[in-house]
Amino acid sequence: MPRQVSHYLSAGNLARLGFQDTAVAAARLNDLGPPASPVVAILGRSADPDLALETLTRLHGSASDPDALMAALEDDEGTAMRLLSVMGMSAALGDHLVRHPGHWRELTDPTLGSTRPPAYVVRTGLLEAVGADASAPEPVATLAHAAAVDALRVEYRRVLLRLASRDLAHHVAMDDIAAELSDLAAGTLDAALAVARAKVGPDAATCRLAVIAMGKCGGHELNYVSDVDVIFVAEPVDEADETDALRVATQLASTLIQVCGDHTGEGTIWPVDANLRPEGKSGPLVRTLASHRGYYERWAKTWEFQALLKARAVAGDLALGRAYVETIGPMVWGAASREGFVEDVQSMRRRVLEHIPANEAKRQLKLGSGGLRDVEFAVQLLQLVHGRTDPNVRPPTTLSALSKLTAFGYIGREDGRSMHEAYSFLRTFEHRIQLYQLRRTHVVPEEEASLRRLGRSLGHLRNPVEELDKEWRHHRREARRLHEKLFFRPLLAAVARIPGDGARLTPDAARERLAALGYVDPVAALRHLEALTSGVSRTAAIQRALLPALLEWFADAPDPDAGLFGFRRISDALGSTPWYLTLLRDEGETAQRLAQVLATSRFATDLLEREPEGVKILSAGSDLKPLSRETVQTEMLANASRRGDAIEAVRSIRAIRRRELLRISAADLCVPFGVAAVGYALSDLTDATLESALAVSIGAVQADRGIEFGSRMAIIAMGRYGGYEMGYGSDADVMFVHDPLPGADPELASNMAQAVANELRRLLATPGTDPALEVDADLRPEGKQGALVRTLDAYAAYYAKWSAVWEAQALLRAEPVAGDKDLQARFRALIDPLRFPATGLSADDLLEIRRIKARVEDERLPRGADPATHFKLGRGGLADVEWTVQVLQLQYAGGVPELQTTKTLDALDAAVAHELLTAEDAGILRAAWLLASRARNATVLVRGRAADQLPTDPRERAAVAQVLGYGPGQTTAMVNDYQRTTRLALGVVDRVFWGS
Amino acid sequence: MGKQEDFVLRALEERDVRFVRLWFTDVLGYLKSVAIAPAELEGAFSEGIGFDGSAIEGFARVTEADMLARPDPSTFQILPWRGDGPATARMFCDITMPDGSASYADPRYVLKRTLQGAAEQGFTFYTHPEIEFYLFKDALEPGRPPVPVDHSGYFDHTATSAGSDFRREAITMLEAMGISVEFSHHEGGPGQQEIDLRYADALSTADNIMTFRTVVREVALGQGVWASFMPKPFTEHPGSGMHTHVSLFEGDRNAFFEGGAEYQLSKTGRHFIAGILHHAAEITAVTNQWVNSYKRLIGGGEAPSYISWGHNNRSAMVRVPMYKPNKGQSTRIELRTIDAACNPYLAFAVVLAAGMKGLQGEYELPREAEDDVWSLTDRERQALGLEQLPKSLYDAIAIAERSELLADTLGEHVYDFFLRNKRQEWEEYRGQVSAFERDRMLPVI
Repeated sequence: MPRQVSHYLSAGNLARLGFQDTAVAAARLNDLGPPASPVVAILGRSADPDLALETLTRLHGSASDPDALMAALEDDEGTAMRLLSVMGMSAALGDHLVRHPGHWRELTDPTLGSTRPPAYVVRTGLLEAVGADASAPEPVATLAHAAAVDALRVEYRRVLLRLASRDLAHHVAMDDIAAELSDLAAGTLDAALAVARAKVGPDAATCRLAVIAMGKCGGHELNYVSDVDVIFVAEPVDEADETDALRVATQLASTLIQVCGDHTGEGTIWPVDANLRPEGKSGPLVRTLASHRGYYERWAKTWEFQALLKARAVAGDLALGRAYVETIGPMVWGAASREGFVEDVQSMRRRVLEHIPANEAKRQLKLGSGGLRDVEFAVQLLQLVHGRTDPNVRPPTTLSALSKLTAFGYIGREDGRSMHEAYSFLRTFEHRIQLYQLRRTHVVPEEEASLRRLGRSLGHLRNPVEELDKEWRHHRREARRLHEKLFFRPLLAAVARIPGDGARLTPDAARERLAALGYVDPVAALRHLEALTSGVSRTAAIQRALLPALLEWFADAPDPDAGLFGFRRISDALGSTPWYLTLLRDEGETAQRLAQVLATSRFATDLLEREPEGVKILSAGSDLKPLSRETVQTEMLANASRRGDAIEAVRSIRAIRRRELLRISAADLCVPFGVAAVGYALSDLTDATLESALAVSIGAVQADRGIEFGSRMAIIAMGRYGGYEMGYGSDADVMFVHDPLPGADPELASNMAQAVANELRRLLATPGTDPALEVDADLRPEGKQGALVRTLDAYAAYYAKWSAVWEAQALLRAEPVAGDKDLQARFRALIDPLRFPATGLSADDLLEIRRIKARVEDERLPRGADPATHFKLGRGGLADVEWTVQVLQLQYAGGVPELQTTKTLDALDAAVAHELLTAEDAGILRAAWLLASRARNATVLVRGRAADQLPTDPRERAAVAQVLGYGPGQTTAMVNDYQRTTRLALGVVDRVFWGS
Repeated sequence: MGKQEDFVLRALEERDVRFVRLWFTDVLGYLKSVAIAPAELEGAFSEGIGFDGSAIEGFARVTEADMLARPDPSTFQILPWRGDGPATARMFCDITMPDGSASYADPRYVLKRTLQGAAEQGFTFYTHPEIEFYLFKDALEPGRPPVPVDHSGYFDHTATSAGSDFRREAITMLEAMGISVEFSHHEGGPGQQEIDLRYADALSTADNIMTFRTVVREVALGQGVWASFMPKPFTEHPGSGMHTHVSLFEGDRNAFFEGGAEYQLSKTGRHFIAGILHHAAEITAVTNQWVNSYKRLIGGGEAPSYISWGHNNRSAMVRVPMYKPNKGQSTRIELRTIDAACNPYLAFAVVLAAGMKGLQGEYELPREAEDDVWSLTDRERQALGLEQLPKSLYDAIAIAERSELLADTLGEHVYDFFLRNKRQEWEEYRGQVSAFERDRMLPVI
């Protein structure tokens, strides 16, 4: 007859305690007795009360002493807490209890809450479990092999059970738990070795074998379940033959791996992973000490030294193991002076920053942004950089290293503390996930029930799922936020004299770190940092918050030193201007754009320095797109009309042009939008500038002479400008045309038109704060000897009389862009029959063009210029491609309207569409044209002035490569690609243009 | 400073080294050397030694002439021929630009790049060269035909042979420099010698060939004779080639070996040969780079002149040697075109690239040449589809100028310089009036 159901077993109370299935729970509790109310309350505090109760029921059924079990639970609160917290967290350990019912008594030990089990006791227990004498120098198991393997598993779980109860019921700190797990692993490796010795037999005595733990076990910070990384070292004993000894040692090592990793009736322990050894999987499993040393002296890579940070002798012949650590250890700290270390660090840093965007990444504790790996990598990297000169920061354990790095000022104190909290939380979370089934996993489960159990185990008895999520997010965000600045923030502490921030990075250490990040002149960099951040002003405070991020962005760009220097000059100029500080304070896109522009482009930096207010353009709010011609022109005309005289008016036009040049170049650098579109934007801007300047010039000449201008005027763009293909350094090639009004004095009109053109060119070219626009009219009829401005009729007469084929070719690129619309249209009508001849090219004309081209190639390339990298006149360069296209146009445009365009790429498309050129040839020409145009723009952006060929200065050339999308050290690869692309184009030009 | 660098610096102390020669190779295959004092070496390791690249054939234009030679500490060797006094050591260098990126003009980088490409497919490339050369009496005098040191023939052994003394000393010296010699004997021509180097990865072998050529000439000078690797010094005697055995390894496994396949030659091996044959004409300008090289190729005998392969067929361009049982690891093919006056870095690079091309494109291996290719009539060869290798440097250049494979492998810089230089060599040669013309014409016209 069931006992009367007490009120504490009511459905309501059970639900309040956290049971999900109250009916089942009540039934089970009744079957158990039911236990007294405090036991049920303790059940309710476990991570998963239903699981705990189910396991308890099963244990009750399998135990030989169920009454003693229940009595212990009721009499000793400590025992109840330990047993039930383990049962409510770990299904795997619960199964173990059911299978080995006697083990529940382990958790009645009251010292569990207060005493850490000494490592030697754990080791002794494990060795004795396999029948080995723990005091022997080389213990050998006496149990039969299969029995020993099982016994080791049972003993391992027994110790693990005790450990888990300390973790769950007594809240031992995460780093202690991880250390105890490592000790348990070390003892297990020793016991497994004893089993291996028994299997190998007497030969085992011919070698000394040491097991070096690497990774988490080596760092004394193991997980509940993870691969145990090891390296094996062996030496022959006395006179034994080395080859034989190594063979025996290899047998021992591989048997050890099997003993730990095999699945038997008692399950498995963990996989032993020896792949961190020299040469990885393909290298020998066991090496002698000398062989290890030889490898690390000769071949090892920086990341291998990073792995060695955690090497620790844990099992086997400890004297040999320690000799290994003493031999290899110093090499780790020498690694920082190796050739290529800076590059290695940078790529490792990138590895820290670049995260795997897999779908799982969001639920990954280990990888992913703000994951455990972030923290571990960052700490190890700082250790490698600073551990060379400062032995204080060398501890192998992540949290210890973190605290040392903090104590000695390599990491800010606040940052260090937050990082510690984040890491402890993430690791504890990981432990709890693994405990459930003792599986190796780093992925946060998605099922509600699992999350609920995990949340409760971490102390969130109310709203466990939501609270857990909140806490996890918080720490992940902190870890991400902190490690991004971990490198950079202390640099400021080194220079900014802020009181009370604990130990600071010394200037030497700061220089070391800046150099490792690619700053060529760390001394100057520190000086700039100091100037920017010292003092107690609001400006300095904002700069201190901002600079860590900026320093990193500079470090990723081609010229970090220039970036920091430019930033200092702009900040000096703008001082404490409120909008500037507001703009920067958001630490977001604005600052990032600014950093990228400053550390890449002297062209854009110059524009910014002329007028620091330009920083506004970079503001994250603006979408960094070139404005349309109309918008710019309207603003230019409106501004000009408000000025008193022509000089002031054009000055305002040029200021707007400067601002727009900055906008285009910054957009090109930050959100590349294609070289063709850059050409359109620059040409549009030139259109607007010329249109406005023309209006101003006409007004000025009228005012000067006191009479109306009796003519209409237009400007015709020529060359690359006419093709809307301008680059940053391009002059504006134009021709001027005018057409006297009926009744006006033609001579006076011509005279005034001449004056207007001269005035326009003068005003735009005068030196001033804003960049000049050279207006070049040398392509006009008769070149420099010809009149600067002609009437439309004069052009008609000239072309009727002297229509040389090269003039028709030049007109292919003529595009009316400014001035009187009607005159523009009439000029176009005049030249169309010339440039798109219905009859195509005569054989003589083709010959003439080829002859001119041959001469140009010979004469125009400046002395000393490199034909391989000259953008315009180089082999397969812009001129080669454009002349080829133009010959096709002269030949066929009369009959093919699509070919009637000034734009090279459009003409190429039309030529393919009409089968005048194969798609393959056109593709090759297009690639060369685009690459040469991009390289030319990149060169001007980097150097800040017009350029005809790839820069010869190595640093500039490297910067151009980076703007073109090549990584560090890839400069010569970029040049090689450039030469290949243009050589292929030359092949097409040879066939299509030269007909060979 | 890494441990290897430390080792070198220590060795300088211990061996009382007074000079360190930094070696590198120009585009045409001439060894260049800069001597520095040991005190400068530490700087050379960390920053490289700056030099004017425009002064080196094919390296750089005047405007971008700053280059750095970075010694490769793994190639450190004491030079054995400087007597007992203070020692001299040498190291091979990689050439970089001031920003640290590798120079595309450096032949060693051409080979490294090509090896890297193969490594990405999982292969390492091994080579084993048989280097032939002539020994002449006394120093050379312009205009006077050289006199060979002896009149022995193939494998001849004579008690007083100057050649065998010479070979003994040369081999001792090579072994002292860590270069293993496999085999040496008297070759077919008077005064002609052959020394075979043990097989090694292609980069080491190329370094070793550069060293070898220097050692051989040093030893010759010491014995009062003159050594030359000129491909064809005599009209009537055989030329000097550098038959090269090549093989690919995947990890520890010889990728050319497949037990049970015909000639134990794997699919990989067959595609590789097909690649070399298919691109043979394109790469000949590199494997046989001199006007004189072609006089060896068209001369018959041991030198091939038709694009063909055969099993143990010494007239074929590519020979698949007889398989020795249980020697799967030594399965290899022998390429018989290369001559000893090539630039070994470039030659190995183009051979590997051609073979890899065959592998990627899974080229079909053409019919095997079973007969002595030389003894066939032109019609027979035509019927068998046997094409001839370029007959002159001029032909070779013309084909090379259309080769994307060559441009890709050599890199644009070397490709451009090399072909321009070779064209110039041809132009200079073309204008020469030779003894042949004088002998034929002066007496009769």
